[in-house]
Amino acid sequence: MSRKKRTPTRRPFEVWPSAPRPWGAFWRDHGRVLRDTLGYVTGRVGTTIWVWFMIGIALSLPAALHLVEMNLARAAGGWSGSSGISVYFVPKADPEHQQAVVERLQRTPGVEEVRVVTAAEALDEFRRMSGVAEALALVDDNPLPASARASVSSDADVDRLDRMVRELEGSEGVDDVLLERTWFQRLAAIREIVKRLAWALAGLLGIGTVLIASAAVRLAVEARLEELRILVLVGAGSRFVRRPFVYLGVVYGAGGGLIAAMLIAGLLSAVERPLVRLFASYGTDLELLGFDPMFIMVLLGSGVALGVLGAVFSSNQRVRRLV
Amino acid sequence: MEGIEFQHVVKRFDTGVEALHDVSLSIAPGSLTFLTGHSGAGKSTFLKLLLGLQTPTRGRVLVNGVDIGRLRRRQLPHYRRHLGAVFQDDHLLPRRTVSANVAVPLQVAGMKAREAERRVRAALDAVELLDKAHLLPGHLSAGERQRVVIARAVANRPRLLLADEPTGNLDPALSESVMGLFDRFVEVGTTVIVATHEIDLVRTLGRRMVALDHGRVVDDTWASDAAGHV
Repeated sequence: MSRKKRTPTRRPFEVWPSAPRPWGAFWRDHGRVLRDTLGYVTGRVGTTIWVWFMIGIALSLPAALHLVEMNLARAAGGWSGSSGISVYFVPKADPEHQQAVVERLQRTPGVEEVRVVTAAEALDEFRRMSGVAEALALVDDNPLPASARASVSSDADVDRLDRMVRELEGSEGVDDVLLERTWFQRLAAIREIVKRLAWALAGLLGIGTVLIASAAVRLAVEARLEELRILVLVGAGSRFVRRPFVYLGVVYGAGGGLIAAMLIAGLLSAVERPLVRLFASYGTDLELLGFDPMFIMVLLGSGVALGVLGAVFSSNQRVRRLV
Repeated sequence: MEGIEFQHVVKRFDTGVEALHDVSLSIAPGSLTFLTGHSGAGKSTFLKLLLGLQTPTRGRVLVNGVDIGRLRRRQLPHYRRHLGAVFQDDHLLPRRTVSANVAVPLQVAGMKAREAERRVRAALDAVELLDKAHLLPGHLSAGERQRVVIARAVANRPRLLLADEPTGNLDPALSESVMGLFDRFVEVGTTVIVATHEIDLVRTLGRRMVALDHGRVVDDTWASDAAGHV
């Protein structure tokens, strides 16, 4: 098959007619830039490692907090079954009223499971747990009320649950309603603090990462200023001139992401054993989750994106004045 | 109109210095023109306006009918790819070999390695530096470095070759050889404009000579007839 000849044409703004860029010029240039960039970073190993660590530390802090928040949520989810809302009915409450309360609970967002405990079941449970079974045998009537117990998810809206509790307190057949919320509110507050801290740090250190990459790339731009002037003189466009610095941003960002992943892996391996022991003392098995290939990919991707942003930012500033 | 045309061009810098004052002239395509004049006469500004490195304060610089001063930033690189530029201070990349320096405009043009190598060899052969292709610029004399710059300027077969004092670092024999080289480029259709103060050398070539003085064209003759304004 013969390739169609690419004849020079003159577009309205062109001074001279010219053929389009030769086939494969784009990829040839990317190959050349990749070789140049690798040459640049390997020729300045100390600087490169320094930049990688600065970016790595900046990325690892919010990423580690994100992992903490994620595992806190998971741990809270594991405990939620043992806490929640208890609705105590008046003695001999109408079953219809009891059913209405159960349905109201089931309709509430954040309520996971609702179980009705009859007066007999409550007495039986009390006998087993209190150790006063013999004394209870002397009582003719069952003094304990029936109740409905609901487990609440760890991310339930506490204000909404409060409103529901007030509503239920005024319902027919209901004697008392307890929302076991002390731990729940504390946990929610801690999670909220950790989440906000992670976001704030992600924002601040993200800007920091962009500035680090930008400063490092600016040094590279200044070091090659004479070359850039020549490139501009012989007809290089701004993309051509900027490309090596964008690659440098990719290398700095990806390296920083990798260092961040290594720092977090080291941190996790250091704290995992004491954490497992702590959770075991509360009767919970802990398995730290979240540090998986996807997390590492996101970390690398964030590093690359921020590195490129910094590179584009600083090279744009300088190249704009040259071209 | 084909060729180059300066229409009432004025170039005034922020400092108030007027480098060119109402310059109007035409240069035919495929011709060799010498710009002569003292230091500060406006020769370099004339060339920088043609390179698109500066824009006129007033008037128009037309190349093939296109106003260079009005080209957009993204259009300038395309224009410059057809130019060759030679400056007195050599502007070579110190960490690249001679052949890599000459290959720079070919890389920018996206040329294949084999074709680029062929062009580099031809350009270095033309300036008699083929045997020094593998050396770094630091290992060359000033004259040799200047010839490398000329090789780089012509490697991409420019349509317009602009040279600012290209023989400033060369001995008389080499200067004559370089000027002869420019003459050869004209034969293949390249328009060549050379800014120089070496009027004696210019006279021997019998080409057009435009004399500038304080930004004004004071003489525009064939070199052999020039009265000698420099």
